[in-house]
Amino acid sequence: MTTVPILKIEDLRTYFYSRSKQALIRSVDGVSLEIMKGETLGVVGESGSGKSITALSVLGLIGAGPGVISGKIELKSNRIQKNLLEDLEDFVKLTTRDGKIMEVSKDVVGWERKAERVMDKVRGKEIAMTFQNPGSSLNPFMPVGKQITEAIRLHTSMKTEPEAKERALTWLDRVKIDSPRLRFDHYPYGLSGGMCQRIMIAMALASEPSLLIADEPTTGLDATIQSKIVDLLGELKSELGITTMLISHDISIISRLSDSVAVMYGGTVFEYGPARHLLSEGEEAKHPYTSALLASIPSAQNIREKGYLQAIEGDVLDTINIPEGCRFYSRCSRVTERIREKCIHHEPDLREIGSGHKVRCWLYFD
Amino acid sequence: MPKTILEVINLKKHFTHRKGLFSSFRENQQSIPAVDGVSFYLKENETVGLVGESGCGKTTVGRTVLRLEKPTSGKVIFDGKDITSLPADELTLLRGQMQMIFQNLDAALNPKMRIRNILSEAITVHHKIGGAEVDRRISDLLEQVSLKKSKLSNFPHELSGGEKRRVGLARVLSVGAKFIVADEPTSALDVSIQAQVVNLLQDLQKRLGLSYLFISHDLRVVELISHKVAVMYLGKIVEIGLSGRIANKAMHPYTHILWSSLVEKQNIETPQKAKSVQAGRWGVFDFERPTSGCRFAPRCPVYESKGKPAPCTDPATEPQLKDIGGAHQVACHFPL
Repeated sequence: MTTVPILKIEDLRTYFYSRSKQALIRSVDGVSLEIMKGETLGVVGESGSGKSITALSVLGLIGAGPGVISGKIELKSNRIQKNLLEDLEDFVKLTTRDGKIMEVSKDVVGWERKAERVMDKVRGKEIAMTFQNPGSSLNPFMPVGKQITEAIRLHTSMKTEPEAKERALTWLDRVKIDSPRLRFDHYPYGLSGGMCQRIMIAMALASEPSLLIADEPTTGLDATIQSKIVDLLGELKSELGITTMLISHDISIISRLSDSVAVMYGGTVFEYGPARHLLSEGEEAKHPYTSALLASIPSAQNIREKGYLQAIEGDVLDTINIPEGCRFYSRCSRVTERIREKCIHHEPDLREIGSGHKVRCWLYFD
Repeated sequence: MPKTILEVINLKKHFTHRKGLFSSFRENQQSIPAVDGVSFYLKENETVGLVGESGCGKTTVGRTVLRLEKPTSGKVIFDGKDITSLPADELTLLRGQMQMIFQNLDAALNPKMRIRNILSEAITVHHKIGGAEVDRRISDLLEQVSLKKSKLSNFPHELSGGEKRRVGLARVLSVGAKFIVADEPTSALDVSIQAQVVNLLQDLQKRLGLSYLFISHDLRVVELISHKVAVMYLGKIVEIGLSGRIANKAMHPYTHILWSSLVEKQNIETPQKAKSVQAGRWGVFDFERPTSGCRFAPRCPVYESKGKPAPCTDPATEPQLKDIGGAHQVACHFPL
């Protein structure tokens, strides 16, 4: 692992305008992350915490519709060094009245044209993504082998059909699809969820991207298949040294594969640092949300020692009416009198409290 | 000694798959044995967990014991009464005592009704009572499932996943159910909310003396909430026993593999080397049914390592559930 970041996200904000509520839904609200070359960054959080939207923003897939993105996404691969969001803000106008956003107007055509020009060279080639629902993300009318071949011909220097087919077969083999030649001509509906996930991984990696974004690679799969997909990702990582951004709500999967971890809540990063600091059992300084999340997992240890699960009271944050202070305040069990005032009225920033370990919580400041 | 509230004897449910419009004339029907001879019992104030991979027939068992599906054969005895072929009107009287929490939250609650109406409808269907009494019961129910009173005027789509679950639970409790089939009650929830729901279920059981048939593919949650666990594979129970024993001292190779395949959060400094050593041998997972003998044989590592012994694939000697002591039964010729 080197210390060269391949992707640097700075203060990313992705908002959606809801016409019926006349408000902005702040799905991603100031996220800064760095992914080093060869590293696996795990992004963990509950639904609605903005994990997937962060990934979609990186790939420029938010473009259409009322999405507004600001911030910086810097890609530094061998071939491209560029801020992917450059000049995009010019295409959006916000009309405000009494501090309330009344309207968002967006030059969709201009935005798309500009974004597509940039993303065309990036998407699939530099950054590839596997999506949450493997069954519906593959083309149902095309044999899976052909879909991989298509990706190879489009994104790599192999332009001829037979050459690309050979390559696709080696990839099918590499993701442990048995009898690849037979499966090459199968359609997605004939394959199980786990196999579709493997096909997606093969397709994403076949174009040899600098960065792989895996969005919930194990969700919706049975336990036996889950562990196989996790093993596969682990093997691919050690064999090929791929850089991965792994998104999941399942901490056990994140902890198996990640080098560093970002815990997200309500559109912001609450804690960020090396995985062994964040997810270890020890009593290290941790964000109250991270510790609560760890305690609520039904792991063997939690079952044996306690016989019940430690729940986090309350509900996931509503990203329209974001509170003034800390976003976790209403659910936090570790507020002390010393910091209560600050928690209610001031949002903490993400500060470094140990080597590479950043926390957004007043507990650990001054 | 708590009494037995539900007894299921050799329950079978076969679905017929018709091929074409005139198939019934051409005898071109294919029978799919979704549940193929399942027996177990459930005592009062007890939870039996039902686990297995998707498609193994867990949900069908749940629906059939409540007579939402008509069993093909076998017997279901609820509270000392054989309900297998009970006529619909008598069944309606029993419906108040046995209820189901459905897997899909959004489909289970009427999107056009406010929460208050959803609950009051359920109460008035089974009890002939007036407005003030209904209101009193609703507020009792809300307290039991710890749901805010302000949510009563909301529509289901305005609630979060955990709140919808609570409404579903309140509705089941409103009719006075004693026996509840909970079909994947935590599958669509986040971990923090999942913990709330699991704790609530346990809490209600203690306070109201409920019995659950808890269906889930989440092994950890099942282990936590159940007293006994039954493991299903392709329509049959392959192992049943106390939850601690099933999780830690599994005798059936399938159970063992299920539990050892759990991706456990682990210490990162000392990464455990791949637990699923035989992962490669497992190959593709599919539901192609073996025609005879043990259904698990094609995936079974023991079958492989013993050199494919004959009894495993012989149709005459399909393994049956055998008692091995300690309320633990296993259906395998070569238990671990």
